[in-house]
Amino acid sequence: MIRALYFLAALGLTACSAEKAPQSVSAEPSFAPLKAPLGQIVAMRRLTEAQYRNSIADIFGPDIRVAGRFEPIVRPVHELIATGAASSTISPAGLEQFDAMARAIAAQLFDADHRAQFMACAPRDVAAPDPDCAARVLVPVGRYLFRRPMTQEEVAAYVMMAGKATASSGDFHKGLELALAAMLVSPHFLYVVESAEADPESPGDLRLDNLARASRLSFLLWNTTPNETLLKAAEQGQLTDPSQLAAIAGRMVRSPRLEDGVRAFFADMLLFEKFDEMAKDQIVYPRFNPDVASALSEQMLRMIVDQLVTQKGDYRDLFTTRRTFINRALGPLYQAKVTSTQGWVPYEFAPGDDRAGLLGQAGFLALYAHSGRSSPTLRGRAIRELLLCQPVPNPPGNVNFTAVQDVTSTAMPTAKMRLNAHNSDPVCAACHKITDPLGLPLEKFDGIGAFRRQENGAPIDTAGLFEGVSFQGNIGLGKALAASKSTTECVAGRAFQYATGRVPADDGALAGGIEQDFAKDGYRIASLFLRVATMPQAYRIAAPPLAAPEIAMTTSKGVHP
Amino acid sequence: MLSHKIAALCAAALFVPIVPAQTATLPAPPANGEMGFVFAHFAPAIHQGDQDCPDGPVATLRDNYLQTQAPAERLRLLEKPNEAELTRRWTGYAFGPQGTNICTHPDKFDRPPQRIVQGKVAQGLDLDGGADAEGCDHDPFTSPTGQAGVDNQMWRAMGCVRTWRGVDGTGGDIVRGLTQFLISGEHTQVLLLTGVDSLSDDPDVTVIYANSEDRAVVDAKQNFMPDASYTVVANAQHRNVLKGRIVGGVLMTDPAHIRLRQSWGQGSERDIRGKRTEYDMTKARLRLTFQPDGSLKGLVGGYQPIWNIMASASIGGEGAATTAGYDCAAMYAALKKLADGDRDPATGQCRRISSAMEVLAVPAFVNDTLPATRVAQQ
Repeated sequence: MIRALYFLAALGLTACSAEKAPQSVSAEPSFAPLKAPLGQIVAMRRLTEAQYRNSIADIFGPDIRVAGRFEPIVRPVHELIATGAASSTISPAGLEQFDAMARAIAAQLFDADHRAQFMACAPRDVAAPDPDCAARVLVPVGRYLFRRPMTQEEVAAYVMMAGKATASSGDFHKGLELALAAMLVSPHFLYVVESAEADPESPGDLRLDNLARASRLSFLLWNTTPNETLLKAAEQGQLTDPSQLAAIAGRMVRSPRLEDGVRAFFADMLLFEKFDEMAKDQIVYPRFNPDVASALSEQMLRMIVDQLVTQKGDYRDLFTTRRTFINRALGPLYQAKVTSTQGWVPYEFAPGDDRAGLLGQAGFLALYAHSGRSSPTLRGRAIRELLLCQPVPNPPGNVNFTAVQDVTSTAMPTAKMRLNAHNSDPVCAACHKITDPLGLPLEKFDGIGAFRRQENGAPIDTAGLFEGVSFQGNIGLGKALAASKSTTECVAGRAFQYATGRVPADDGALAGGIEQDFAKDGYRIASLFLRVATMPQAYRIAAPPLAAPEIAMTTSKGVHP
Repeated sequence: MLSHKIAALCAAALFVPIVPAQTATLPAPPANGEMGFVFAHFAPAIHQGDQDCPDGPVATLRDNYLQTQAPAERLRLLEKPNEAELTRRWTGYAFGPQGTNICTHPDKFDRPPQRIVQGKVAQGLDLDGGADAEGCDHDPFTSPTGQAGVDNQMWRAMGCVRTWRGVDGTGGDIVRGLTQFLISGEHTQVLLLTGVDSLSDDPDVTVIYANSEDRAVVDAKQNFMPDASYTVVANAQHRNVLKGRIVGGVLMTDPAHIRLRQSWGQGSERDIRGKRTEYDMTKARLRLTFQPDGSLKGLVGGYQPIWNIMASASIGGEGAATTAGYDCAAMYAALKKLADGDRDPATGQCRRISSAMEVLAVPAFVNDTLPATRVAQQ
């Protein structure tokens, strides 16, 4: 964080824990306004809530509270939030929330307890404007918030704003507070503004410039704002040099902070925002209490990180691994002994346990089920769409669900029997053939992901079918997914989309190419992320650029920025 | 060891006859012989006999104050216009000299004992085998199933208190309160059985009866979830290691001094003994029946200090007297009169009282990380 390094800089020390607290406020170049004009803006991607929070924590410190509601970014159908962010606006109500958060953050920074850590100078008169001191405080902060040096116009405008607020309030720190709050609601903070330059390799075309590449790398790999090292590398033009880009990206994927990037990617790919709205019928599932609900997504993310980052494992093994994590809240759901009173502990399922793999986790099973019953169709559809990237059509509006909803039927005690009856309608059967053979193998797990031997007293048939291969249960399903090229092609394509925020026109071919490299590296997630972080196609600008940039700033008296 | 065998034989003789469990429907014990449980219920064993309280429930402090007045004055005070005066006078009856009040310092007030249970039936265990050289005379109860020799003087003293007795088969507030404290983790209790070869008959089972710092894992209806995990407290004082056996699907333990933490109630400064209370039961034993659903139901019996029985009222201090209406001095007097254990050789006064707690324990995973501790023996 920035403030810790004030002291390090004062002591003449270097930041030895540079990854977690990478920012520093050196005299050069952070005090220098941007001399070169801004590049051609080619995309604007809104920060996600996690990215906003991580940015504030990294720049100002984890004790600065961020309290407020974040207007959600709409996910395009069958795409990622990362792609939705590229076309996301902010409503007036959403901006009010950002404004309230910004004011609260700024007030904390310049309160009596914190201000000394963020101020490189003392005002000549604490009750009067001091443009020089204001600039010395705001310019380095602005560089971190905007992920580039501020322009001279921006510096002048924010200093003017601080001065006017100081004059009216009689408090220099209140002036800084208002200026910082304004910076925090600037589009240049709330959006990752991607700018481009002429591509010397391909005359007439554009490529992302250095500063845009710094943001790309940082948000892709660490899900946070670029640190000092990265900004400096960008300012020195290293990120458009393929070999230096590869070296820097290589260091980043070897960092423990890759965990944050991997978490964010899979939370996006697996639609984790649905956990926020998941509800279960308390009459049917009294064991589904708030502690269980809040633990489900975290368990899945810990399993994913452990397999892909900590163990540096094969992505395909994510569907068969017996390793996971568990806490006291989840113990009864898994009927498992939890050896620690607090927090999470590693847990390994016994050989042959049908829980193995990502799909055996209660989070997946509960998320893709109805509030009062399991759903082979929802689970099968989720597998198709999220893990295989194979969109499934929505059902028509006039479907008769009577048979599948009769969950206490003695004539059709199991979901498979009820679906068979439902599928006597060929219109229904067409889609259920796609989904149900992937969902029925999970039927020994109920609507909250708890194991069950029977349904309504009847044995459960967990036979499944995928790509012509028959299997039994979740273990068989996991092996089938692990063996499928579609599984690895899907995650490879998603990674590219996640990095760039766009679905390329030649998506299939591109994903195939990425997948081949992914395969060569043993399907390691670090290799996949490194690939999409360094491949020239990810920085090539295919879409027509936006209008020429205009910074809506002025130093004219009475005109608000 | 001879003493070990004698203790076991004596213990077997002390227990009242048991009703065999439905052993045919019991599940098989786990292969490692280890079974864990968490207590989902631990409260005074309630039995609402028709003849228990012929004169009505225990009188309130207001009622008892009125009884001290001449009939004419009593009638005058009960007139509506004199309500304020009556309230002032009966609440004043809760206080003594030097800042004492009737619930914080019940032993400083000389009041007649409260009404006690007159019935002959109560739940409980035979704690003294019919006679205890260290105890005081008392009439044992007969159990609801007809077994004689039940020692539960606590119920005799407290069974007419409204907040204990309850109505229509449901225990009073103390039952609900103690259950709520279990849920909130104020006195989480666990059992860990080891060496279990059969749930029907096993002559040698080790029972660890302990506290856990872990809060209960409950479902949306506030019921204890089975198969949750709990860790035994590090404090060996509240980790009781008992010798037990299973006969006819009933787990029984040898008499032992059982101590368990409980931290419900107020802070230490309001506790009448200057520290937080604990369950402290001498010559205590468990009699728990295995249920087909895997749970255990039954009783924990033992001799408790009489102060502990009225801890709830005493901790409440003057509020317990003037708001809840407890006449704690009358309560103390009844407990002192009926105490039947731990006789003081110098005064002849018994300092403990036989008691029975009704319990339900549901299956749980219990982590017991302490090194082996000696089995407690009488």
